[in-house]
Amino acid sequence: MRSAVTVLIEHIRNLYLIRRLSLFELKSDNSGHYLGILWEIINPMIQIGIYWFVFGYGIRRSHPVEQVPFILWMLAGMTVWFFVNQATLQASKSVYTRIRMVAQMNFPISVIPTYVITAKFYQHLILLAIVFIIFQFTPFHVSVYLIQLPYYMFGLLALLVSFSLITSTLATVVRDVQMVVQSFMRILLYLTPLLWDPSHLPHLVQVIMRINPLFYIVEGYRSALLGTSWYLVDHAAYTVYFWIVVILFFVFGSAVHLKFRAHFVDYM
Amino acid sequence: MRTMEHAVVVENVTKKYKLFKRTSERLLDMILPGGYGEDFYALRNVSFTADKGDVIGIIGVNGSGKSTLSNIIAGILPPTSGSVKIDGQASLIAISSGLNNQLTGRENIELKCLMLGFNKQQIRAMEPEIIEFADVGKFIDQPVKTYSSGMKSRLGFAISVHIDPDVLIIDEALSVGDQTFADKCLDKMNEFKQRGKTIFFISHSIGQVKSFCEKALWLEYGEVRGYGKIADIVPQYEKFLKEYRAMSDKEKRQYKERVMRKQRGEALEAAKAAAK
Repeated sequence: MRSAVTVLIEHIRNLYLIRRLSLFELKSDNSGHYLGILWEIINPMIQIGIYWFVFGYGIRRSHPVEQVPFILWMLAGMTVWFFVNQATLQASKSVYTRIRMVAQMNFPISVIPTYVITAKFYQHLILLAIVFIIFQFTPFHVSVYLIQLPYYMFGLLALLVSFSLITSTLATVVRDVQMVVQSFMRILLYLTPLLWDPSHLPHLVQVIMRINPLFYIVEGYRSALLGTSWYLVDHAAYTVYFWIVVILFFVFGSAVHLKFRAHFVDYM
Repeated sequence: MRTMEHAVVVENVTKKYKLFKRTSERLLDMILPGGYGEDFYALRNVSFTADKGDVIGIIGVNGSGKSTLSNIIAGILPPTSGSVKIDGQASLIAISSGLNNQLTGRENIELKCLMLGFNKQQIRAMEPEIIEFADVGKFIDQPVKTYSSGMKSRLGFAISVHIDPDVLIIDEALSVGDQTFADKCLDKMNEFKQRGKTIFFISHSIGQVKSFCEKALWLEYGEVRGYGKIADIVPQYEKFLKEYRAMSDKEKRQYKERVMRKQRGEALEAAKAAAK
């Protein structure tokens, strides 16, 4: 618990650092391409197109999901997914790829995964804005439900930061963890309601699938963007569960991070 | 008397590495309570004190632990045991100074300073001086990947000296760059010297060490072989070098074996046993 407080204080004290470093990260990610940051939009769009063709047009025969056209249902979820996938993979390897840059012992290493995630978050905001604009041309335009969106964004950031505190530390100590994270992310794509709708499955299976905290965030984004419900209130118990998971990740992540941090350079 | 305070106190610093034949052994080392793998002592019981204004040359043959020691003094590597006390901030200047190739020189200055813990105002104040000292002209707004190696080291050196450290560690950084830049660096270092800062200077060039340093720390297979005035230490070191060169191949091999055995920690364990 004490280590969680230490890491939290480090984050609060270094907000400016996180912001600046994330901007540099964004810049060095996208340099060298003529279209620069546009690729962060083009790539997801191409992938969403092909997923729609396979899962929406091919498998679902364009059946809507509870009155929502499949393409919009998928778009709302996949916007979250592109961020989660990129951020988790990059953040997990962030510590061991950047530790050489850190030339000072007292540098708050715990903010490294956070600023990498923040850099990806800017891209997420752009993609989200585009999806939002698209939705304005459909019956699912802006509604009062949209005001929950910042809450889910915050929840998602908290989840990613806590989770990558664990993975970035473990991946530095044992590089193979990065591979595990990669396979895990591939599985997660299908275990989260992103490409197919699990609502016709037996109740028990659905409950088990909700163990995945990302399920909560994806459904939450959807309810806000499509204006279908107050998800966090309607599923209050799930909201409580989600925050317990985040806190557990954060407490455990901070503990392992602080335990190994002094010796990160030795694992190079 | 403030001027007589020690700037750097290194006490019994030991740096132990584990040598693994396979990556699976590394895993065993983590799991087994007693550890696994062969020990390798990069540094052993290194102790010395440096006063403010000291300019100390660290000398020794390849693999004697010079870079490990400089990394430990700079606070980049943690020692396995022992302690390093530094009055103020230490800064290491090495050839590979960790610049981001994708970013411009100007951005790298900010990035590096942020990484070193400076705030917005401080960085803004330092930037013009760094740019002037680095002397890369229009390239300051170009990505660092387009820089020549001389420009890179100039930028790295400029950043490191302008963060105004109390202890400066220069690891072979002057061997790149042309004479004009080397002179400029020497001027800057002399300025540091006059301001009473402590400088560690690591170089294979005995000439540079002799002309620039006042004290020398001679490392041999991770141990301090001698520490004192240049006039006392360097002749001994030169004598050792001459003897070493004169050795036959067989003698050299024997010498190296002895060194290896020592670095594996056998002598240390023997000493421990004797103490009991």
